[in-house]
Amino acid sequence: MSIIDLENVNFQYKGSRDGSLNNINLHIEKGQTVLLCGASGSGKTSIIRLINGLIPHYYSGELEGDIRVAGHDIKQTELHKLAGTVGTVFQNPRSQFFSVDTDGEIVFGPENIGLEPKEIKARLNDVVAEMDLDEILGRSIFNLSGGQKQRIACASVAALLPDVILLDEPSSNLDFDSIELLRGIIMEWKRQGKTIVISEHRLWYLKDAVDRVIYMENGKMAREWTGDEFNSLGEEEVKTYKLRPVVLEEELIRDILGDSTSYFCDADEAIELKDFFFSYKKHPYLIFKKHFKESDGDLLNLNIESLKIPKGKIIALVGPNGTGKSTFLRCLCGLERDCRGKIAVDGKIYKGRDRLKICYMVMQDVNHQLFTDSVKSEVMLSMKAKDGKRCDEILECLGLLEYKDTHPMALSGGQKQRVAIASAIASDAEIMLFDEPTSGLDYSHMEKVGELLKGLASMGASVIVSTHDPELISECCDYVLGIKHGKAVYLKKNKEL
Amino acid sequence: MRLDPRTKLFMVFVVSLIAMMSATTPVLWVIRIIITLIPIVLLILEKKYSSALRFFLAYGIALVLLLFFISENSEGIIASLLIGYCGIVVQFMPALITAWYVIRTTKIGEFMSCMQKMHIPDGIAVSLAVVMRFFPTIKEEYSSINDAMRMRGVMLGGGNVLRMFEFRMIPLLFSCVNIGEELSAAAITRGLGGETKRSSLIELKLGLADYLLMAFLTAATVIFVMYKYFL
Repeated sequence: MSIIDLENVNFQYKGSRDGSLNNINLHIEKGQTVLLCGASGSGKTSIIRLINGLIPHYYSGELEGDIRVAGHDIKQTELHKLAGTVGTVFQNPRSQFFSVDTDGEIVFGPENIGLEPKEIKARLNDVVAEMDLDEILGRSIFNLSGGQKQRIACASVAALLPDVILLDEPSSNLDFDSIELLRGIIMEWKRQGKTIVISEHRLWYLKDAVDRVIYMENGKMAREWTGDEFNSLGEEEVKTYKLRPVVLEEELIRDILGDSTSYFCDADEAIELKDFFFSYKKHPYLIFKKHFKESDGDLLNLNIESLKIPKGKIIALVGPNGTGKSTFLRCLCGLERDCRGKIAVDGKIYKGRDRLKICYMVMQDVNHQLFTDSVKSEVMLSMKAKDGKRCDEILECLGLLEYKDTHPMALSGGQKQRVAIASAIASDAEIMLFDEPTSGLDYSHMEKVGELLKGLASMGASVIVSTHDPELISECCDYVLGIKHGKAVYLKKNKEL
Repeated sequence: MRLDPRTKLFMVFVVSLIAMMSATTPVLWVIRIIITLIPIVLLILEKKYSSALRFFLAYGIALVLLLFFISENSEGIIASLLIGYCGIVVQFMPALITAWYVIRTTKIGEFMSCMQKMHIPDGIAVSLAVVMRFFPTIKEEYSSINDAMRMRGVMLGGGNVLRMFEFRMIPLLFSCVNIGEELSAAAITRGLGGETKRSSLIELKLGLADYLLMAFLTAATVIFVMYKYFL
């Protein structure tokens, strides 16, 4: 018996063509696990929103067709009535938490539907035991790593005991180990007989979990495979669909997990880092701030006494969530003022604020980084000597010239990222840092980022990119630098190239 | 020390009341100064020693200025600037610091439970909780934007005050609106806003510390009001 029925559904968002849906007929049996894949903007998220009722009750637009989920007519059912039936894990852990503490978050749903405190307590205990959350109970959400946040998000959905669970690109911000844990959670839900629908770009971790795979293209269900057919798809065939690989090479995974220990820097020229010590736990102080030293030992979130990295190359910065990748980048470019590290390039030493002059970081959330009212002025803002001609050249080579008078906030996510990269080029920084530039991107966008990075390196910049994305690493990185517990544990040449 | 949210709310109320009412006689000044010690103790409890010291000094200076150097008849730019400074430090800072402490140390669940005990309607309680939830988010967003500005070397907006403000506020508004939208979508799918009365896992209980502090605060208020209006 089917539990989700979408019958002749057409949908278009108000004022936007992106993510619209075209003649969708989808019937999902109780207990099935279904994967939705396809490029960004192909309508995956819209289908998720149809099932949880956010379309049409929260995101409005033109909707035709019938939607029934577990006996509810979605069009006629108020959203809060679906709370015990459909649960959704969203993509961005930052914006799906209502509480500030983990316990509060898990019991938030049960409290909303007015359960007895005794029952809530029992559900909390069940979920905590099931997902092994003891360690992260009673903590502030703001101090959790991406993986921990996503586990809490799963737990808070599970505490409502829904029959249908939806996951919208849940692995976007996760590292390998966290994805394994997420996979474990999905398998457990599957065992409990829940109906699961996952929209996702990364496919390898769902390989054995899914019963059906639906390929979306331009708002249509373009292809469907059974789980077995999907697993046996050849590498070439997967590529023609512009999907990320279904099978990952073992060796690549080992590299990224950081099990190797070799240190290897054969480049003729190197950038030298010295005395990078930093901790987020500040010493309580009365008058003078204390600086961090190597002797602070375990307290340190970053502990690099000296490190040589190849110049003019692309270096992948890898390591588990919350182990110091972002801290490394922030300290390197001088954003953390309390870190007293020095950078030596071409015999010159940069410390303190000077680091900001030779480094430029493209942040994970590019929305924070765009300030002006047009793409052109955004790029001009970064230039030390304002040069309109060079600005046009930069925009041209990033394919942004036609948008030069557009407001940056009106662009798509990928375009915004390119604007941020354009400003980085305009700043003439020698060291370009990228903080997870491909999280949540589909295969073709990831490829484009890879090409951009290669372009930067060919212009002579040293590029350091923190990433969990094995495909990006094999696509463009020359070296892999592993960070664990704030220490640089290995540096090696990327074999793929 | 764990205080009940009700005590904390009462504390914010009393501290703002007494710090903001004008004190005219020595007795009133003494009560006001004692009440101002509360935020200093709170800062020390949170291990913000440096902030505690700075506030203590700022308050001391403002107090001395106010009592011995500035009178209602003072004239001139310096005097009016000093009055502004003293007013902010003496009247508003104690309440601000107390409110900061309450927001920092109260869990959303505790706050909701407290609102229920006080029979505040769910609608109001949820809105207040969202505001509380948003403070740390705004702080986080603001500091990322600040970082980005430092990286791009536009901290001072190219010397233009208006742009300095614009560069900070526009990305901040965009990201807060986005987060707010996604946040409410996520909260609604988990049953927020239904007709059923919310329940609460946290059972609040007033402890000895709560009763003592409340008694102290009440006594301070009563004495202050008595001396100000009736004696």
